Amino acid sequence: MAQRFGDFPSMKEALIARQIDATFMIAPLAMKLVSDGVPVRIVYLGHRDGSALAVGADSPFKEFKELAGKRIAIPSRFSNQNLLMARMMKKNGMPPGSIELIEMPPPDMPSALASKALDGYIVGEPHPSKAELGGYGRILFFMKDLWPNFISCVLVVRQEVIDGQRPLVQELVDGIAASGKWLEEDKEQGAAHRKAAAVVVGKMFYNQDPALLEYVLTKPLDRVSYTNLTPPRDTFDEIMDLAVETGVLPRHMAFEEYCDPSFAPELEGLPPVRSFPMPTAEELATVGK
Amino acid sequence: MGYSLWPFLAIAGGIAVILGSRRLGESLQKVVLPLSAAVIGVSLWQLACEFKSYELRAPDGSVRLIEVFPTPWQTLVELARMLQDGTLLRYTIASLYRVAVGFGLAAAIGIPVGLVAGWSTRAYRTINPLVQGLRPISPLAWIPVAILWFGVEDASAIFLIFLSSFFPIITGAMTAVHSIPTVFLRSARNFRLGRAELFRYVVFPAALPQIITSLRMALGIAWLVIVAAEMIAVQSGLGYVITDARNGNNYPRVLAAMVCIGLIGIVLDLGVRQLQKLDEVRWGFSKA
Repeated sequence: MAQRFGDFPSMKEALIARQIDATFMIAPLAMKLVSDGVPVRIVYLGHRDGSALAVGADSPFKEFKELAGKRIAIPSRFSNQNLLMARMMKKNGMPPGSIELIEMPPPDMPSALASKALDGYIVGEPHPSKAELGGYGRILFFMKDLWPNFISCVLVVRQEVIDGQRPLVQELVDGIAASGKWLEEDKEQGAAHRKAAAVVVGKMFYNQDPALLEYVLTKPLDRVSYTNLTPPRDTFDEIMDLAVETGVLPRHMAFEEYCDPSFAPELEGLPPVRSFPMPTAEELATVGK
Repeated sequence: MGYSLWPFLAIAGGIAVILGSRRLGESLQKVVLPLSAAVIGVSLWQLACEFKSYELRAPDGSVRLIEVFPTPWQTLVELARMLQDGTLLRYTIASLYRVAVGFGLAAAIGIPVGLVAGWSTRAYRTINPLVQGLRPISPLAWIPVAILWFGVEDASAIFLIFLSSFFPIITGAMTAVHSIPTVFLRSARNFRLGRAELFRYVVFPAALPQIITSLRMALGIAWLVIVAAEMIAVQSGLGYVITDARNGNNYPRVLAAMVCIGLIGIVLDLGVRQLQKLDEVRWGFSKA
């Protein structure tokens, strides 16, 4: 059974209370849960890239350095967006704390930018696109510019379920991999699959404007990617180093302690699978002008 | 996994004290009864924690006890930590400041407007539907609006507190004037009081007891709303502690802040109740 949550804390609490068995969540939050003794593991990634740094449409910023002293919203201190900001500040020789980072629920970010309460925000889609489409924001950086193959959300499963229901977890992971493969399959030939997904997912799951999701998925096509989702040890080690360095996590943990990549399927043998009914022509006509 | 013994003993003891308190003097009862209720509450809390914790058996046979919920003891330790590092005092002041400004503005605007609207039928007809229509909207719903208008600073939080206390105050003031016994007004007219004098010497004092009751209610609501108000990206306050600790997985701190908000609520209510003991308003109450 699927259950939609409006924020990460509630989802985390449902996971702790064993009300849900598996969920997508931001990677460092999953690591933090493990370090706090919550028995969960990361088994797969949700997507790659898919975040952007949005600033005011009329703002003068061109380079990362110019954000010194500005106020940028992040979704959570336990987000890779936060760690990415730390990584970029370090890379640009800026002392930690030289950008004011504030935590904010992602849905509030576009309106906060519009009212100039923020100089910018860095978060997963569709929130950066919303500012772009609304005309009051522009994308300063896509993730591919700052941290290629950025990991944002990961699939987290409770240890009890991993131990007791392996076939079920495998089916879930295979399903994610197969539908990711389906999304990418016709990417170079018009990306009809992504458009169909925007319509169906917008209506069925997220109650978001399909046109917005279509924009997110297709303009540009590499804003979000859905392949290459096996948890990579080297990137997670780098995330771990950054998290400990910035005080987000209290201690170093070995990859095996919080990650179980044993479910990740070999993509070669896996057929692409569409996991939802195809939208009608009229429904499709609502997007892709 | 089993339960601790002490909560059961404490609950039994608490109940025994409450049942046997009839013979105690009144001043002793005033201390013993609430304390017993608190002891029972804390014991139930402990039992709830133990009920929620579970054992995780790994395939290799090892067993781990997973605690889900912060216990009273963990909460107390966290409270002590907050007291020691100064956050408790600093954040309490920040929250009280926001409530004072928001509630103060609500009273400063709500009482005069409510008095006028209660007195003049046309003003009442104009204002009342608007007030009653806005009153039931939760401050949570106003958060996006507040951010758009006031940004993510103090002003947004204060605005939400203002909203939550303004409507009960204005309603209280309107009703208070409305329900002034006609005999007061008739006798005032017999003394040929002018409009201003009537307001100053009859209407306002007659309405005051009820206004103070509504202020007491409104302050309770203003304090209640502090958590919602400080969910907006402000970086201080007891409500902020809850959101922040929740984001940071520090559940004992969430509970500690909840306990603080409760305790301060008791103090605030005691404070407003002192207002009701003033001579100017005392006559309005059958039981002080």
